[in-house]
Formats: sequence, structure tokens, C-alpha cells
Amino acid sequence: MQDKKVLEVNHLSKKFGNNEILKDINGTVKSGEVICVIGPSGAGKSTFLRCLNLLEKPTSGEVKFDGTDLTHVDEKQLINLRERMGMVFQSFNLFPNMTVIDNLKLAPIRVKHMKDDEAQKVAMHLLDRVGLAEKANAYPSSLSGGQQQRVAIARALAMNPEVMLFDEPTSALDPEMVGEVLEVMNELAKEGMTMVVVTHEMGFAKEVADEVWFMADGYILERNKPVELFDHPQNERAKDFIGKIIQNV
Amino acid sequence: MKKNLKAIIQIIIMTVAMFALTAVSATHVSAADTSLQRVKQRGELIMVTSPDYPPYEFQVNKNGKDHIVGMDIDVAKKVAKDLHVKLVIKSMNFDSLLVAIQTGKADMAIGGINPTAARRQSVDFSKIYYTGGQSFLINSSDVNKYKSAKNLKGAKIGAQTGTLQYGLAKKKIPDATVKGMDKSTDLVLALKTHKIDALGIEKPSAEAYVKNDPSLKMISSGYSLNKNETGAAIAFKKGSNSLVNAVNKSIDQIQKKNLTDQYLASAGKYMKVNTVNTSMFHYWKYFAKGVEYTILISIVSTFFGVLIGVILALMRFSKQKWLRGLAISYTEFIRGTPLMVQVLFVYFGIGVVVNIPALISGMIAVSLNSGAYVAEIIRGGINSVAKGQTEAAASLGLSKGDLMRFVILPQAFKNIWPALGNEFISLIKESSIVSIIGVTDLIYQLNIVRADTYRGVMPIFVAMLLYFIMTFALTRVLNHFEGKMKHAG
Repeated sequence: MQDKKVLEVNHLSKKFGNNEILKDINGTVKSGEVICVIGPSGAGKSTFLRCLNLLEKPTSGEVKFDGTDLTHVDEKQLINLRERMGMVFQSFNLFPNMTVIDNLKLAPIRVKHMKDDEAQKVAMHLLDRVGLAEKANAYPSSLSGGQQQRVAIARALAMNPEVMLFDEPTSALDPEMVGEVLEVMNELAKEGMTMVVVTHEMGFAKEVADEVWFMADGYILERNKPVELFDHPQNERAKDFIGKIIQNV
Repeated sequence: MKKNLKAIIQIIIMTVAMFALTAVSATHVSAADTSLQRVKQRGELIMVTSPDYPPYEFQVNKNGKDHIVGMDIDVAKKVAKDLHVKLVIKSMNFDSLLVAIQTGKADMAIGGINPTAARRQSVDFSKIYYTGGQSFLINSSDVNKYKSAKNLKGAKIGAQTGTLQYGLAKKKIPDATVKGMDKSTDLVLALKTHKIDALGIEKPSAEAYVKNDPSLKMISSGYSLNKNETGAAIAFKKGSNSLVNAVNKSIDQIQKKNLTDQYLASAGKYMKVNTVNTSMFHYWKYFAKGVEYTILISIVSTFFGVLIGVILALMRFSKQKWLRGLAISYTEFIRGTPLMVQVLFVYFGIGVVVNIPALISGMIAVSLNSGAYVAEIIRGGINSVAKGQTEAAASLGLSKGDLMRFVILPQAFKNIWPALGNEFISLIKESSIVSIIGVTDLIYQLNIVRADTYRGVMPIFVAMLLYFIMTFALTRVLNHFEGKMKHAG
């Protein structure tokens, strides 16, 4: 594992009006690391993740990607930096007006100026990897939620990103489809992809994460190896939260 | 509230600026009298008329080609010949004739125009070339009821809007209700269906109708009038003395040799040609030309309407405040004024600065108008696309332009397709308004056919059917594409 810092967050805060969602967040993600972010709803997990590629503009603080502070670059530079960060959303957000293969090819062709046949090759390879090669010419609306999310992952991977951000990727899925998505993510982690995952899937976090960050009330209250954090949480809020989750399982 | 006020002020400023521009250029044009010199240099005498008023001027189909003929046309031909220039005939609504010469669209207007004192204030007139006299048309069944104009007391009288007959009926027939319409063909139909009791009309026209339609009779108006209220003269833009004097020389000859009798006789012959066969099929070429122009205007205006609409809608989403403000002002202004006024403004108003032909003016006005509506539809469509789509595209590094082109607009168009289709269909129908500036669309041709055949209802029915065929065909095409898009997710 390399020690290169991919993402570095310093004193990040985010307000919506008078509502302070994030208060002084600090953290570093190194190349090849998998970070899982857990915490009660309303903790600011999603907002934190969306601040990492500036889908939300931080109120103050720094978000450094590969050494560049994203909060101080212009629109053009931001677009250039974003293409190196993949993102997967809770609600998939595939483009419904395009076939699966066109969803994958659009950004490589338009942003990376890849030739059509080359983009086709990359896209088919990725679809094969997520087990959906036969759905290449289907429209998203004809796919199940699990299939759509796998396509969304493949779409993000088509840009060959340096880091993948996952925003509760399995929360909108029927229970029987969660497994197929986690499996894809699991393989991705094993191949050494740097990942930041907001999730409620403790099993996945335990198996894959290098570090779990527990967030509540706009702070990261505790961070530790998954086994340590799940079995011996130090923070009172973390103890409470993990206790509740284990009961439910 | 404050925002609204600001928008209103912007609109007012815009309007004032537009009119100021027009006014300045209008005064600029009317400087020295070069009217005759201009005609001679050009080698063409441009004349404007409203060819739905037999026997003064009307259209005939001769050897498969449309011609405007009639007594007035012969007078104009004589004038052009005496000036040694070519005669160019433009046609438009009677209402617009005087405006056309005031705004320089033509050198002179002819059309049985009576040189009244009121009209003399806004245009110059030649000498009177023909004195027809006023009369009324009535239904044959009413001959005993209305033996003379005196019996018309308290009756319902029809007359062409903006004509002398309209004013005279109001002033001189006691207790009469006067109903105005644009077309004499409509008025005759109103008379025959007893919506009006009598129709005030020039004597030669009345005679023509009586000859062609046994259900109509003519009675004398009984008005005692001065020459200016019975005679017909040619109208010119104010300050065209040199041209008026030259034309008067021709009129002196016409008077001396009584040429108008000859002209009326040949007009009568043409009218017989027209009314020999009044079946609608015989006039299919007229309708075909109308359909052709209506389709042409609709296609061009739809194309530019959508183009303008997309640009305006994108302006609404711009980061620049002034671009947003401009788009909002434009949309509000266009939606807040009638299309008819916009057509007149483009043709006559803008026409003072740059001379735009009627067809192009019509297309411009309809495109500009449609653009405002399309912009609002597209804006709604863009707003209807889920926010997640923008975020997904941004996370992939797509530029704003690509986001719009490949992600947002295709989805927006699918959502708004039915509303857009509705706009296209109403565009076909609303484009009919361009007939007022003389564009030969279906409505214009319809009125020509009615004037030529003396048949009031059948041409309307044919036009109705043709409009329906056009809109229905378009509906099928739109549905086809809607089905295709539905298939695509």
C-alpha cells in the first residue's frame, strides 16, 4: 500500500442557512484505502461525501484532491479534477434517455475524447466485470435496482477514476439485490481502488474497510479499524449507535 | 413585488426605445420631395391594392396564372405607361393600404378609395378618376320592405370597416345599427343570411353583385354628397407633390376620353369568366397556393421558434443577471401583446428602417412570437428533469454544454413533447394572421376565392377542411415520435 494522500480535508464546515451540517471535519484518505463512513441519519455523512467532489460547496475549510485545494479552483479546473473522481449515488442517476452502453460511453467520449470503438471496448469490458454485458443495449428503466446500480458503478469506472465515492449505494435497493452490488464493490476494493463509502452495511465495512469513521452532529467523533470500532467503541454516541444496529441485525 | 416593478420598468423602457427608433427613422425618410424622381430611377411604380372588390380590383385565373384585374388596375397601368415605368402590384388588406404608403412599402395605393377630409390629413390624393356613387344592397325578398333608403330607418346595416360607407351609414341613416366587417364577401354573406338588412357599398360593386346573384337587389343611397365622398382617387404618401402632379396628367386624359367606361366593361368580362364555374374544384390552385404558403410559414416559424425558444430558455438558466433579465422581458412582452400587432409592427414598423417583404415579415413575427411560448415550455421541461441527473453528469466531469445537450435537453424534450406539439398545431392555425399584410396563405386565398365566386360559405368549408387535414397530419407525426421516445426509457 502506497502512502500517497489522495484526499485531505482540513477544518471543513458546511452551513445551509443557519443550519450547520458539518463542523470542523478533518481527515485524510491515502491511496488504496477504503474508508467507510457510518453514523445516525442527519449526521452529515452524505453532505461530507458531496463536499469531497464539491457537489456541495463547503462554507469554509479545505478539500485537497491530489494536493490541489478544490475550494479555490475555477469551474474549468474543477470539471477537470472531478473526472478523476468517480461517484455512485443512492438513486443510481443513470441517464434514462440512453442505453446502458451509451451511459458508459458518454463521458469517455465527450470528456476524455476517446474514440468510439475504444470507448465501446472499455465499456463492454466494464459491463462484463459487473456481470451485465448482455444488457448493453437495454434502457435503464428495464433494469432492476441492483442492475442499475451496477451499471452506475461501471459508468463511474469508465472514466478510470483515482478515487470512488459511494453515497449509500445500497439504501434504495430491495434486500435481495444488496448482495450483488456489495460484491462488485468488494472486488473493486480488493483490486486496490481508493474508496470512501457512506453505508449502513456493517458486514461490508468489517470485511473491506481499512478504517471506519463514525459521524454524528457534524463531527467525526471516532475513527478506527472496523473490528476495533464495532467491538469496542470508545465514544458514547458511537456505543449507542452500534448497539442499536447490532440489535437490529 | 420589487422584482415585478423592476421587470415592468424594463419592459416600458424597451417599448419606448423601439418606438423612438421607429419615429426617428420615419421623420428621417420624409425629407425632400423626391417621389417622382425615385419612381423614375427605379423604373418601377409600386402600387398596393386589396383585390377583393370587384369590379375595382379582383383576381382572375387566366391561362392557369393569377392576375389582379379591374378598373383600378387599368387606371394604374395607364399611369405607369404615361410615366414610362413598369407597374408592380402588391396586395394586402384594405385597412392596411394607407399604412403601406405612409411607411414606404409602396408609391401609391388604389382601391376605390374616397378622398375624404379625414384621409387627406394623413395622405395626399390625386384628382378623382371615377365617381361611382353610393348604394345599398338588399335581399330580393325585401324589395317591398325597403323601397328606398328612407325605409332603412332603424335597420341593421353592414359596411366594410374603415370605409366611407361605414361612416356614412352611421351618420346619415337614423337609428341604424351599423355592423363593420373586414371583407365585403363576409358582408354579402351576412346580408344573405339576414344578419344585416342592408349593405352599404359603392355602386359599381353593388351592380356587380346584383348581376351575379339574383337573390340580391340594389337601391340608391339617397345621400346628398360632395365629390370627395363619392369619387375614387389614388393615395400617396404626404409630400409626394411631384408624383401626384405627374399622375394627375394621366387622370386628366382618363376623364377626357371617358376611359373608365371602357375599363369597367373589360372588368365585367373578367367577372363573367370568374363566375362561369364557381365549383371549389375549379379553384383548387388557389387553395393549393394557400396551403403551400401556410405550410411554408409554419415550417420556417416552427424551426426558428424552437431555436429562439431554446436560446431564451438557456438564457433563463444563465449566471449573468442581464441575460436572464433580457429573456424574461422578451417573453413577458411578446406574450403580453397580440400576434396581429406584432405582425403589423414587423412589417410596417421595422419596415421603415429595413424594407422586409411581407412573407419574411410574417415569418419573423410568427417565429418571434412562437419562440416566447416555446421558451416557457422548454424552461418547464428543463426544471422537470431530476436534479440527480445534473449531479451525475457533473461527477463524470461533463461540461455544462454537454450536460444540456446530451442529458437534460433530450429528457426535457420528451417530457414537454405533448405541450410542444400543441404549440406547433396552434402555430399552423395562428399563422393565418399574416394574411392581413397580404401574404398569400390559406386565409388570404380563401378570401380571394370568396370575392371571385360570390360564394360565401363553401370556400370557408374547404379551408376548414384543409386546416384540419394539416393539423391532423401533424398530430399523427407527433404521436409517432412520442411513441418512439416512450420506447427509449
